This record gives sequence, C-alpha cells and structure tokens, in this order.
Amino acid sequence: MAGATAPALADAAVKPVLALSGVKKRFGGVVALDGVSFSLRPGEVHALVGENGAGKSTLIKILCGIIQRDAGTITLDSEAYDPHTPGDAKKAGIQVVHQEFNLLPYLSVAENICFEDMPRKAFGMVDFPTLYARARKALDAIGLGDVDVRRPVESLGVAHRQLVEIARALMGESRILILDEPTATLTARETERLFEIIAALKAKGVAVVFVSHHLNEVFSICDRVTVLRNGQSVMTADIASTTPDQLVTNMVGRQLAAAMAAARDLDKTGRIALSLRGLRHPASPHAEGVSLDLRYGEILGIAGLVGSGRTELLRSIFAADLPLSGTLERDGKPRRYQNPKQAIRDGIGFVTEDRKEEGLILDMAISANVTLASLRKVSRLGLLNKRAETLLTQQLGGEIKLKYGGASDAVSTLSGGNQQKVVLAKWLANDPKILLLDEPTRGVDVGAKAEIYALLRGLAEKGLALLIVSSELPELITLSDRILVMSKHRIAGEVARADFSEERILNFAYKDERNHGHH
Amino acid sequence: MDTTDLTTAPAGSRTIATTTKTVLREAGIGIALIALIIVFSFTPHFLSSSNVTNILTQVTINLVLSIGMTFVILIGGIDLSVGSVLSFCAVVAGTVMTLPGLDPVMAVFLATISAILAGIGFGLLNGLISAYWAIPSFIVTLGTLNIARGAALQVTNASTIYSFPAAFNAFGSKTFYGIPLLFLIALVLVAIGWFVLAKTVFGRVLYGIGNNEEAARLAGHNVFFYKVAAFTICGVLVGIGAIIYMARLNIASPIIGIGFELNAIAAVIIGGTSLSGGRGSIVGTLLGACIIGVLANGLILLGLSDFMRQMITGFVIILAVILDKYRERLTKA
Amino acid sequence: MKFAHLIAASILVGTLAMPAASFAADKPVVGLVMKSLANEFFKNMLEGAKAHEAKRGDYTLKAVGMQSETDVETQINAIESFITQKVDAIVVAPSDSRALVPPIKRAVDAGITVVNFDVALDDKAKEEAGLKLAFVGPDNREGAKMAGDALAKKLGAGAKVVIIEGNPGADNAAQRKLGFMDSVAAGKLDLLDSRTAHWETEEANTVFSNMLTAHPDIQGVMAANDSMVLGVVKAIEAAGKTGKIEVVGFDNIPAVQPLLKEKKLLATVDQFGQQMAANAIDKALGVVAGGKPLEGWVKTEIKLVTSDDVK
Repeated sequence: MAGATAPALADAAVKPVLALSGVKKRFGGVVALDGVSFSLRPGEVHALVGENGAGKSTLIKILCGIIQRDAGTITLDSEAYDPHTPGDAKKAGIQVVHQEFNLLPYLSVAENICFEDMPRKAFGMVDFPTLYARARKALDAIGLGDVDVRRPVESLGVAHRQLVEIARALMGESRILILDEPTATLTARETERLFEIIAALKAKGVAVVFVSHHLNEVFSICDRVTVLRNGQSVMTADIASTTPDQLVTNMVGRQLAAAMAAARDLDKTGRIALSLRGLRHPASPHAEGVSLDLRYGEILGIAGLVGSGRTELLRSIFAADLPLSGTLERDGKPRRYQNPKQAIRDGIGFVTEDRKEEGLILDMAISANVTLASLRKVSRLGLLNKRAETLLTQQLGGEIKLKYGGASDAVSTLSGGNQQKVVLAKWLANDPKILLLDEPTRGVDVGAKAEIYALLRGLAEKGLALLIVSSELPELITLSDRILVMSKHRIAGEVARADFSEERILNFAYKDERNHGHH
Repeated sequence: MDTTDLTTAPAGSRTIATTTKTVLREAGIGIALIALIIVFSFTPHFLSSSNVTNILTQVTINLVLSIGMTFVILIGGIDLSVGSVLSFCAVVAGTVMTLPGLDPVMAVFLATISAILAGIGFGLLNGLISAYWAIPSFIVTLGTLNIARGAALQVTNASTIYSFPAAFNAFGSKTFYGIPLLFLIALVLVAIGWFVLAKTVFGRVLYGIGNNEEAARLAGHNVFFYKVAAFTICGVLVGIGAIIYMARLNIASPIIGIGFELNAIAAVIIGGTSLSGGRGSIVGTLLGACIIGVLANGLILLGLSDFMRQMITGFVIILAVILDKYRERLTKA
Repeated sequence: MKFAHLIAASILVGTLAMPAASFAADKPVVGLVMKSLANEFFKNMLEGAKAHEAKRGDYTLKAVGMQSETDVETQINAIESFITQKVDAIVVAPSDSRALVPPIKRAVDAGITVVNFDVALDDKAKEEAGLKLAFVGPDNREGAKMAGDALAKKLGAGAKVVIIEGNPGADNAAQRKLGFMDSVAAGKLDLLDSRTAHWETEEANTVFSNMLTAHPDIQGVMAANDSMVLGVVKAIEAAGKTGKIEVVGFDNIPAVQPLLKEKKLLATVDQFGQQMAANAIDKALGVVAGGKPLEGWVKTEIKLVTSDDVK
C-alpha cells in the first residue's frame, strides 16, 4: 500500500529481539494476514493498532503458537522462531495476556499464578508454602501487595483479575510480553497502575507489544506504533513523529468504499417504523440509554468500537435481552416485547452477529433453517407441509441468489456467504417490516458481500426499515442513509450521508479516547 | 476454521451423494441388526416363530420407554427416572384396578388413565424444574427417580399387587399371527412418535432446540414449553409402559423397573440419537431396542454364561456409539 | 443406581444420628439392621419385629433398612452408627456375607451383643477376622432341597429341569442353588441350564422364555424366590405349556397363593420371615440379660408349602 513507510534507518542500529517479515495467514477463503512485517526492540513498548478485523488477533495467535502462519519469516534473536504450541512460545520467553481471561475461577490466586509450574513435594503433592511465597512475590512485583494469594479468583474484581493474568504471564522468564487490549476493563486508576508496571518491565529490558483501541494510551506509554489494515502492516513509526489523525487515516485507508457506494434515492424514506427513547440494555452503565428513530425505506447504520453497546442495542429491541428501561414505539404505538416471539409477530427480524451460535441450526436442512421463524406459513394444524417448505426455500433461494445443492442439504455444507444468505432468507420468509442486522457480512467473501449489499438495498427500496451494525466502516458508508455512532452504550454522534467519512465516524467513536492524546 | 466450502461439486451430483450418505446413516443401524440376526440364526430355535414372539414381547416395554426417552434426549436432556416412575405408575394403576366393586372394564380403563396421569405428573415435574431453574435434567431426574420409587413403596407399603381381572391378564399374552398384541401397541406408538418428530412443526422445533437452543429462541420459539412438553411426552409413555408391564406379568410392584432407564437410554443411543441432542430418529430407536432384545435372547440361546452375556452387551453399546461416530464423519465429509 | 444408594445411605445415617440419650435408660436397646425394605419379605419381617417390641415391652427397637438388596454401605454405616450410640445389642441380616464382618467385629469388640440372622456370615471371613459369632436362621440349602425334592418326586428321575438363580454373590442365592443341586443329584434330574434373573419378575420372565426356546423340552423349574416364580409362570402361560411344566419357588409370598391354588406352582418354602427377626431379638436379649452366649447355627423353622396348605 502506498501509505506504508519503511521503518526509519536508525532501526538498523538496534538489533530487534523479534522480527516478522511477510507473514501471511488465511482461513479457508478469508485472508486474515496478507504480508505483515513488524519488528520489536528490546525494552520498547510497541503499539499495534488497527480496525476490528485488521489482523491483530491473528498475529498474536501466531506469535504465541495457537495457530501457524502460512508464509513469511519470524525470527527471535535472529534465529528462526516457529512455535507450534503455546508451550513453545512460553519456552521462548513470549508471554501473552489475552483479551478473554484464561483464569481458573475456583482456584486460588496463587494456584492460578503458578499453574504452569506448580511447586511439588514428594509423591506429586503441591508444596503450598512455596506456592504461596512465589505468588506473593509475583503480586508484590506488580504492586498488588493488598491481595491475599489464597483467595479464589472468582472473588476478585475484573481489574484485579486482569492484573493476576499479568502476574501469571510474568512468572516465566518473559522477554516479550504481549498485552491484548489490557485496559478494556480497567478504570483510569487501574490503568495508571498498569502503566507503571509496564514502565518497570521496560526498564528491565522486557519488550512489550501493546494492543489497544485507545489511542490516548498508545500516545502516553508507547515508543513506537505499527498500524495494521486488511491484514497488512501499512505503517510503522516512532510515536514522537506521528499524530492520532495520521494513525486513524492509516487505519482506515484512503480510496476504499467509494466504488461500491451506488447512489440511493433518499427521498423514499417514509413514516417512522421504530422509535426508541432511552432504551437501556442491562449491560449499559449509563441510565440514559439509546434514543433513535428508524423510518421505512431507510438504512440506518450503527458504528462504534467493539463493546460500545451496538449488539446490545439490537438485542434489547428484539427482546433477546429484556431492556432495563426506556420505551419502544412500533408504528407510533408503544410496545413492550417480552420475548423474541412477540417482536417477530410485530414484523421484526434479527440477523445475529454469530450465525453459528445464534442464527443457524447447522446440522439441519437448508429448508428447515429457512422456515424456522415462519413455520406457521408452511404448516396446517401443526402438520408440516414439506412441499410448501421446499417451494418457499426455492423461491427465496432464487431471490437471494443462494448457491446450494438441494433444499434438504445441511446448512453446514454451505460456504460462509451462503450461510449468511440462509439467515437472511429465514427472516425474509416472515415478511418482516424491520430488519436488525448485526455484522451482516462477517466471514463472507467479497463476491457474496456485494450480493448481500445489493439485496439489502433492494429491501430498503421495497420499504423495509433496516438497522445495520457493522465494524467495517466502508460497509456502513456504502449501505447507510445515515450513521449513528455509539460509544459506551450511548449515541455519541450522528453523521448524515452527505458528511460520510471514516475520519468523522471514528472521531465520534474515539471521542472519549482522544481528548488526552499527546499532540 | 470457517466451513467455507471450496470443493463446490455440481448441484446434482451433490444431492445424490447426500442421499447416499443419508441412507447409509439411517440404514447403518439396521444393517447391524440384520448382521446380528444372521449370526444368531445359526443357533437352533432362534428363528422359530415362538422365539420371534418371545423377542418381540421382551422388546416391548423397553421400546415404549425408549420412544419417550428419544424425545427427551433429542432436546439435549436425559430422564433417569423412567424405571422408578414406571413402578409408581404401575402401583397406582394396580391399586385402582383392584379397587373393590368396579366392573373389570371400568377398572382397566380407570387404571390406564391413572397410570398415564401419574406419568404425566412426573414428566411435568421433571420438565418444569429443569426448564424453569435451568437445572441439568440429569440431576432433576436423579431426584425424581428416588421420589417416585419412595412414593411407590409408600403407596403399597412395599407389597406386590396382583389379582387383576382375568381378561386383562389374558390380553397381555394375546398374539396375532405370532406377533404379540402388546408389541403391536408399541409399534403404533412408534408410528405416532415418528409422525410427530418427522411431520409436525412441534417435532421440527424439538430438533431445532436440541441443535441450537439460542437460534430456536431467537427465531421466536418458546423453548420452555417445548422442554416441558418433551418430558411430559416421556411421562405419558412411561404410564403406558406401566400398563404394558402389568398386562404382561400380571403384577404391579414397587420394586419393578429398576435399571429400565439405562436400557432405554442404551436403545436410544444405539439407535443413533446423539446424547447432546438434535440428531436422531424414532426408527433408529426401534432398531436400537430390537438390537438389545435380540442380543439378550440370542446370547442365552447360544448358551453363554450370564456374566459373559453382560460383558458382551456392554461391548455392543460402546461399539454402537463408536460406529455412530464413523457414520457422523461419513455424513460430514 | 449407585448414586441413589449413596443418597439413601446418607439419609438413613442422618436419621440414626439422633442422640442415644433419647432412649429410655432402663430398657435395653436393640439395633435391628435389615435388608431391603422394598422387599415384601423383609418389610413383613420388620413389622413382625415391631409387633414383638410392642408385645414384650421390655426393650427399645431401632430398626434400619436399606434401599435394595445390594446396598452394603447402608448396612455398614448403620452398624457403625449403632456402635457410636452404644446400643446393647445388634441384630443383623447381612446383605453381604463378607463385607459386613469387619464392622460386626468392631461392634463385638465394643462389648455389644451381636446376633446374625437370615443370612450367615462367611465362615472363612469370620475366622480371618477372629470373630466368633453364632447364626440364627433357616437353612436355605435345606429349604431349597425340600422344594427341589418335591419337584423331583413329581417328575421322576431323568426329568429335564432348569434353575433360575438369585443375585450372583448373595449368600442365600448361593445356598438355594446348592439345595436345588442337591435335589438334582438325589432325584437324578437332568439339569439343562441355570441362570440368574436377579430376583426380578420381568427378568425371570425374559430369561425363562429364552431358556424355553433353547430347551423346548423343559419339564421343571426351580426358582430361587417367588417373585421370579411370577415371571416364570407367566412365560409358561405365554408358551401355552401350562400344566406341562412344574415350578417350585421359595419364600411363600402372598402373590403366589393364587398360583398354588391353581396348581401352577407346585411348591414353595416358607421360612417364617415374619417371626425371624423377632426370634433373633429374643435370643439377643437372652444374652444381654446374662444368658449363655449363642454358638454355631441356631436353626429356625422352615416348611414346604403346597396347594394343600392353601384354602
């Protein structure tokens, strides 16, 4: 990519402890990494930033041996590094604190910290005094002197758990520590404490890879930064010589999107189909909730970082989770759905984010999945009419250009894109008036993506109201008539179609983050 | 990671391949049964009509319980209480049937109704508790296993009930062309069970819940209702099973039915129903129950000792599940 | 099933944990350890013992039963609990003739008078544990021989017979089988097969049906208890061989009375279970009151019951 800049010549002076070059990885038809180069110097804190799906997680998994790369070279201290298990990575001195906790909740803090190498006595019995002493030392080292190592981990708060994870990662002889979104669950104070720990580690010569969405953090503790975009490393720079705006520009890329964004006639939008006032999901920390109006014929995009409450918003509309407070009006009439069934009866459909867990019944036939939400239409007196079911599947399958063998084939035999079309068909079979879509093209190849876009546009033309959550900004920009940006379970801003730009959207999304950035 | 299908075969050939696989999968257990029958047919008397009658009689109760068990296992549950509940239903029905002053037809009718009601009662209890509090049905039915057994002992004060109407006793040994009437009743239940699971919306949603409860819920189905219904259906069949037991052996006792749940579970699993739910069929269960019955009968005819017989039965259960894994792989490949 | 036993065991032990102080201080306390109260035979035995307690009125009875015939843990727990409660005597019908030896030894060592009834403890196990204990009970082998002899007499030498055994491993099942075998030898019968049906009606029905298929010429059946007789008789009816196959059983339970009357059951054996526990308690109280310790095998009454005994 044109935006990629070679690391400064000065790099050559310091020998990197870890160096990646041209690393590639694909999962089936999806390219996750498409040539990543990256170097880590001893004693530096190196930020890794990028949009969701840019390849950060895949890169970390390769480094810690969970998955293997397809191509490219990785060297550790100038020697080839090729971990096949997490154990290999640990032996090499690379420790990772993952985004999801890997703690054992019912064991004590000490047992968790020393789990990989339990001190033993004769007959394999645990040497508890040594265990507690080691754990104590590890916790003291990161300034957690006030936590009793005998406490079960489940009794700790989230922040402490995170710190226990770090203590555990530091138990081994770690030369490289990878922190994946370590501050996502921490308060400002706890974050500061973590930063102190990172500074101490750095002083000891440990190289730290710091993955974060929070640019202010990147600018406050990191020495260098590498930006990933679409599986490629597009920029590496010293923090001192870059700006948050430059990072955002590189994360987004320049000439995307425009090609797919065919103009839409915006005047067609009609009456308000759905109106929310202060709808609050149980997980929302804020009392005010979300307010919005969705019109017939409109495609309303919802942008925001992962964890900003987008999925939760859709779930509370659909009564997949019951909202804590707030009101919902459907065609101007107040509604309080108690379960998805009522929402469905009221003309709402919900294409969930995770089609395997929530959307599809993989081992069942395509036709059975298509009719799952509209069994009344293909049955009489509780008896299934298989013919009607097959006909409906064939008819919808044609409309959505589904590529399949027979209606009785299991959904699991289809590709990701076609599986997603089946999910769409399931809701279309019900003639919905409103469609909620959560990441409608995740794990879908480019061709199917374009078809799904066309299909969604067509639905809006027909007068359906569409509410689309997506982490891919180009997708939202392509599809939406307007975009609401969420941050921390609130609407942080609205962008009209005329003003669409990724920078603008990200500005809202990072609103809470940028205020403190070095500049 | 993704199931991105890169080997896109032409549509037509894929359908044929899929059909072949489906046939193999469904027929696999039938082939096993036929193989077993062929092996045993070398022993004298095995294929004699009276022995066939015997096998069918011996299969009947387990088959009826297994039909109900199939419903429960399909939604990812399990019912350990069926043996004890059968005993409870039997003593309730036995008590009703031997009430003084009832004419025989009325007595049998009321007894049948009361056995089924008792079964429904325990089925509802199992279903409501496990669905409402989201307690694994393994635990709930372990509890009701003890409750039902204790209740049966309490009701009868541990005594055996006998002296049922003569017509009822005779009914239990009736045969049509060598096929026991009781087995024919079980076959009718098999047909109803098959119909419900294969042809109705209700059955479709049960499969859906067993496969992916959340997807079924988000598609607007009342998961709670279906779970309770599956256990209740199981209860109905236990009630019918109790009446069949009484017709066959002419007694009702609080100590009958011990271990029946394990035989029923074995029949369902051998029949190819997945213990984690969502996959399986009543036809498979019928074949599974037949395999168990044929095995028990044939091994005795072979003259194998009791202990050997028990071991072989154990091996066959494990073998059936291993075979099922291969069938699964075959159909997925 | 194991879980069920554990649960039952803990419940029973819980009820036993009541303080010993609640017993009347002046009356001797007798702990009665029964087998499965789900079995009518033992249920009746317990009721006989309770009636006996009320009638004598000079001792306090604490009875414990178990959930099924094979529930050994409950019995061991019960004996240990009785030791803790310092009862004066323990009267025990062991569910396992070996496993119960160590706890009984502990009871004897604790100075408690122990009487073993219904099923005898294993002689070798007793010897190894250094335990000397008398047995009060019927001779199961002798009883089974009485029934077997009745069958042999009816059928004559050379008749083809089968045995339906009780639980493998249970002492009374083993004794009854030995008794039947004695009859086979004495009456020169032709034993075709011998299999267990675990004391159960349905299993006996299944097992005997299959035996009948393998040996269509069976003339006589010796079943180790009457519950199994019910299943056997039903199988004979189903095969249309009523009157052609003679059956003998054991226990004389109420449910077989109609069969005796209709001559579908040739004979069964009554060991007067109702009085068995009461007799054993009498013997134990005699020792507690300063009587001579019991020795060897104190045999109790057994009687062959035939259609002549049923009115």
